[in-house]
Amino acid sequence: MTADGGIPMNKAEALDRVDGDETFLQELLNLYAAEYAEKTVAMENAIRAADFRAVRELGHALKGSSANLSLPRLQDAAFDMETAGLEKNIDGAREALIRFRHEYRRLKDYLETP
Amino acid sequence: MPDKIPKRTILVAEDDPISSRILEKKLKGWGFEILLAKDGRGAWEALQRPDVRLALLDWMMPEADGPEICRRIRETKKANYTYILLLTARDQSQDIIAGLQAGADDYMIKPVNFLELKARLQTGQRIIDLEDKLLLTQAQLTELATKDGLTKLWNRTFIIKFLDEELIRARRTSSPLSLIMLDLDYFKKINDERGHQAGDKVLMRIAEILTQGVRPYDKIGRYGGDELMIVLPNCDRGSVCLIAERLRRVCAAEQIRANGKAIKVTFSAGCVSSGHLVRPTGDRMIQAGDKALYRSKAAGRNRVSSFPIQKTRARKRTT
Repeated sequence: MTADGGIPMNKAEALDRVDGDETFLQELLNLYAAEYAEKTVAMENAIRAADFRAVRELGHALKGSSANLSLPRLQDAAFDMETAGLEKNIDGAREALIRFRHEYRRLKDYLETP
Repeated sequence: MPDKIPKRTILVAEDDPISSRILEKKLKGWGFEILLAKDGRGAWEALQRPDVRLALLDWMMPEADGPEICRRIRETKKANYTYILLLTARDQSQDIIAGLQAGADDYMIKPVNFLELKARLQTGQRIIDLEDKLLLTQAQLTELATKDGLTKLWNRTFIIKFLDEELIRARRTSSPLSLIMLDLDYFKKINDERGHQAGDKVLMRIAEILTQGVRPYDKIGRYGGDELMIVLPNCDRGSVCLIAERLRRVCAAEQIRANGKAIKVTFSAGCVSSGHLVRPTGDRMIQAGDKALYRSKAAGRNRVSSFPIQKTRARKRTT
């Protein structure tokens, strides 16, 4: 899977999910930012400790949050973290976390672009 | 589809704050009262509330997952049914089967399609409404089967069954059980002279006075036409005579209005306590209570006698 390419957010779908309420969508994106900060640090620690159960659960949680906001590339990277946790694949988890962080930066750029 | 679902409390157990926030906003918009839980323990606590009859449970949660909560709620004997919808990212058929087998009523794959969710919650609502109607009908049937239609006292079948059950309990706990048999004085005359509707009013009012005058755990039944029976658990002969005498005085002091006229009515009573019978059974208690009651009647009515009969006990009480 390539790290670049593709729109980071299907904004129309996300807005549809919240009945077109832009303010509410922004509130959710702020929640996502807080989740991102907390869970990526937790994921880093889980990978360092080779805690595959935590890797799987954190990946699963980030996958769900990303899907709710129609963030397909972040959802994919989170899915790969979950799978790596299941398969006890530490390199896979590390690679997926790097990609997740990269995709999050792309999302921020996308949202900040007027 | 109606725009609003009638107000109900719904539990949303979801550890993902984004999913939880979206659900909260949607469900509030549909008219629900929301209870939020972030983990299995919080969900379990919220489900103990009797008003929580609908629940959206995330499959994966800290402390206890959705299927585990489903299993637990189905194992407990909660008085009313809780309709549970599992939210899951798992879409394999074995996962769905596992969720339903754990006791979930329905499931939805995340991210949730809200139109579908609303329709499914309406299905849940219909099932709960149906259960409420059934429980109401059951309560009405129980009332019909156990209560006397006129006085709302327990009927003959129920009060005799209660007496038998309480005798067993009294034997097991070595505690006394007492019985008052009472019969309205000259009730036939009231019916003959004032009409049956006046007689009915007298019975209803006497039933009210007795109900207010006994302890909450005593039970009063209509044994026959104007013959009533009071079963008093954990009450000895001394106490039952005092209670019967107090009730007699209150009733005798009452002026019951029927057809625009005041009617004064008294009753005669017979008391018996299980400690005064060799092998007390329901039948023997009733027979002994009747004997004491007839003693009161024979001695001039408007009085209380107790079994075993002692001549000095059947004293006339003046009001």
